[in-house]
Amino acid sequence: MSNYLDLSIKEIHSALLKGETTPLELTKEAIKRAKANKDNAFECLCEEKALLKAEELSKVKVPEDKIMFGIPYVAKDNFSTKGIETTGGSDILKGYIPLFNATVINLLEENGAILIGKATLDELAMGGTGTTGHKGITFNPYDKTHTRLIGGSSCGSAVAVSDAIVPFALGSDTGDSVRKPASNAGLVGYKPTWGQISRFGLFPFAPSLDHVAYFTRSVEDAALMFNVLSKHDENDSTSSFKTRLDDYSKLDGNLKGKKFVVLKEVYDSITDKVIKDKFDLLLNKIKEGGSTVDFVEFGKKLLMAIYPSYIVISSAEATSNNANLDGIKFGPFYKGNTYQDVMMQARTKGFSPLIKRRFVIGSYSLMSENQEEVFKRAQKVRHLIVDRAKELYKKYDSIICPASPSIAPLVKGASNQLNDTYLIADNWLAIGNFGGFPSITIPLGFEDDMPFGVNITSDAFKDFEVFNEAFAMENILGYRDLSVLNFKDKEGK
Amino acid sequence: MNFEAVIGLEIHVEMKTKSKMFSAGPISFGATPNTNCVPMDLGMPGTMPRVNKQAVINAIRVSNALHMTIDHDLWFDRKNYFYTDLPKGYQITQQDRPIGSDGYLEIEVNGKTKRCEIERLHMEEDTCMQHHFSDYTLIDYNRAGIPLVEIVSCPVLRSGEEARKYVEKIRDIVTFANVSDGKMEEGSLRCDVNVSIRPYGTTKLGTKVEVKNLNSLQHIENAIDFEVKRQSELLLLGKPIQQETRRYDEAKKETILMRIKTDAVDYKYFTEPNICPIHLSDSFVDDAIKTCPELYDEKLARFLNEYKLNEVDAKILLSNVDYADYFDKGATFTGNFQNLANFFISNVLGYLNKNNIDIKNFKVESKHIAELVDLLKDKKINSSQGIEIFNKMVQTNESPIKLQKAMGATLIGDEETIRNLVDEVIKANPSIPADFKAGTTRVQGFVMGQIMKKTGGKIDPGVANKIIVEELKK
Repeated sequence: MSNYLDLSIKEIHSALLKGETTPLELTKEAIKRAKANKDNAFECLCEEKALLKAEELSKVKVPEDKIMFGIPYVAKDNFSTKGIETTGGSDILKGYIPLFNATVINLLEENGAILIGKATLDELAMGGTGTTGHKGITFNPYDKTHTRLIGGSSCGSAVAVSDAIVPFALGSDTGDSVRKPASNAGLVGYKPTWGQISRFGLFPFAPSLDHVAYFTRSVEDAALMFNVLSKHDENDSTSSFKTRLDDYSKLDGNLKGKKFVVLKEVYDSITDKVIKDKFDLLLNKIKEGGSTVDFVEFGKKLLMAIYPSYIVISSAEATSNNANLDGIKFGPFYKGNTYQDVMMQARTKGFSPLIKRRFVIGSYSLMSENQEEVFKRAQKVRHLIVDRAKELYKKYDSIICPASPSIAPLVKGASNQLNDTYLIADNWLAIGNFGGFPSITIPLGFEDDMPFGVNITSDAFKDFEVFNEAFAMENILGYRDLSVLNFKDKEGK
Repeated sequence: MNFEAVIGLEIHVEMKTKSKMFSAGPISFGATPNTNCVPMDLGMPGTMPRVNKQAVINAIRVSNALHMTIDHDLWFDRKNYFYTDLPKGYQITQQDRPIGSDGYLEIEVNGKTKRCEIERLHMEEDTCMQHHFSDYTLIDYNRAGIPLVEIVSCPVLRSGEEARKYVEKIRDIVTFANVSDGKMEEGSLRCDVNVSIRPYGTTKLGTKVEVKNLNSLQHIENAIDFEVKRQSELLLLGKPIQQETRRYDEAKKETILMRIKTDAVDYKYFTEPNICPIHLSDSFVDDAIKTCPELYDEKLARFLNEYKLNEVDAKILLSNVDYADYFDKGATFTGNFQNLANFFISNVLGYLNKNNIDIKNFKVESKHIAELVDLLKDKKINSSQGIEIFNKMVQTNESPIKLQKAMGATLIGDEETIRNLVDEVIKANPSIPADFKAGTTRVQGFVMGQIMKKTGGKIDPGVANKIIVEELKK
């Protein structure tokens, strides 16, 4: 049995078709593994509902066209799930049971996927460490001593896939919240073009930067999943009408004639030799496959401005999006003499200091006397950064760079947030959020038995091209279907 | 010293669309609290706004009626503040780019036409309704998200009367365009007034006082007049005017201090990130305007020119768009427009007012009123029969022709029959011809009375009059 949940969706699907396993067997096993997991990956398990559905699906013939049929999965706890408590990892939503499903949850449901649990996250998806949710630190399953982080904010989802509990998991990505943990977890982490997957039902952090994103164990799975989730949704006014014509099941991995660009400043600011060597090796292989690779300066000032402008824009939007959490309509209610009293108590007790810090930054930057100098300036910087990326996309198919300057950081590691490595190499992935660009992280290698990834980011609506390029690199690198169960066999490649 | 009042108005008009401004939540007035709302209306996490197309069409129509420039790109902004009536913690509005800008409307004051400039018209969503009790508050989310247009005038009005006429005009536009019920007493049209005064001839604006909770046209006029008087007295006494918010007290007919305005709230506006800017094509905007229901001024012109009604009656019919609609429908069944208007005003409206019935709940079809008017006009029945039939129609909802037959109510118009009756009366009263010749016109009426008595009032008086004169002259 243990041979299925660490495979890809595609492989599990064919095992189901052949009758080698059943949705019920898979679901039982996934729940068993979820319960055994010690990394603090789950907000809650929906065992009863999942088993009921699995039993039902086990009675019918597996449809060939429903690739996700009968396959268990996990969703980050910031997706609205009808009848299942959804807290966004925050005490302010303790006991909140949504009345409706997020569009992606519905789409997966219609396709027969089985939700077994809600995954931990940084509180309200704000944070990149996987340490700030109300359930505490989420650990990296590659490090059984619990000294290393998995990263966030989609920490629990990353654990669920890398620990071979489920073959895919939903996350959300506002700065790099799926693509960075994917690097730390040896997974494929995909963030589509903004508007290609409906955000309806995703708890908003910063809507102009938010994306529904997900973890899989292979590029092909990521593409197949995109096929299922990428639909116009009338409930999301920012959902794209662009027709999705490409056949995502037909990736050819052809690198001939592709033009890649490495951001020189990102490359230069990385000091980890193992990562750099592995990356160089990959570049050589790509060139052998018929592609060109250029090193180009993006502009150091622009790259250094990503983090501050990201913090301003995301905090400003966050302070407004979370103003609905006032203790009056849902979440814990505290009695007070005035409405201000009621709201202040709920928000004082419900949010952690880190969240309050973000709200203060956000409110400050939106205040009329600061808005021009802070918020609007950050928006202008965002435009300059996107324009620069678009300029590159005129000449190149995709940007390629290491997804992270290091392996998963130590829980107790102090990072200097003002050095180049942090400001540039740890934050460049947010370019993808600024421009709404399709962006994928895939495993690149291992250092001290800990994985690290490489990222490809392309121009908006080039989702198919991104998948195809990543598919080619996955073939070169050989890290397919990675999980803690099997990485030792694949590490040496 | 004489002062000039400087008055600006902010009017919120609640639209009567089927669903809310940004959600599929249904709208129906008077529904049980908290039954007309969907998760979005409660600000539940993950819900997203969808712009109501009909609300946009409505806003275009009102903007056009107010001669405004219409922005073909729709932008929405968030207005952020914490309050119990604001479920999301922000209101979606149009701060930077209102759909309508730089318009005007014209009012008649003292026989002169005055042009009132209007700064902007924008769309936004309504807040919850709150019911405050001694130590608790109940919230009704039914109102949360109902589409509003806010119309902001320039500070160009100079008196309570002008303000009242301005609001009346706006109300006519939104009701005739079928955008809103425009009922001030029910809150579907709400008006906030800003009043300041300054010495005549000066241009510097005085301290502005805001008056809220004005729920009738008369209150607007009274409140402004009171406020101008109050402020003038203060200034003449050398006392300063405070920047404050006041409300109008109906019983005392005066404005009362609600709160002194301190620093303005910072609403931290920014562009709504969940709605991409929407481009309105020229044809969409043109269609919205072309298909706009007929507005007051056009309708008045039509009633005067096509129906040839007198102005007083036409204006009574137009005092309520539902009257005008009822009349229009009736007018398709008769050519006797003025008669229809007369009957409608004296009988139908008389009945509705007496029984306190809204014309929307009036069961008699306008077609039947038109038929009744024709029966009267064609002298098939007389006016007292007409009233009798009308009273039956109200009860039974039957057609007047059927009722007339059932009641045997017909008029005798046959000349021979009438002549015989007249002769009978003259025979019975031999002094009549002599009296008539002596110039006593009273006898004419006497004869008419007698023949009416004989027939139970079923004589066509027109025909009878002619015959009476002929017979008396013999």
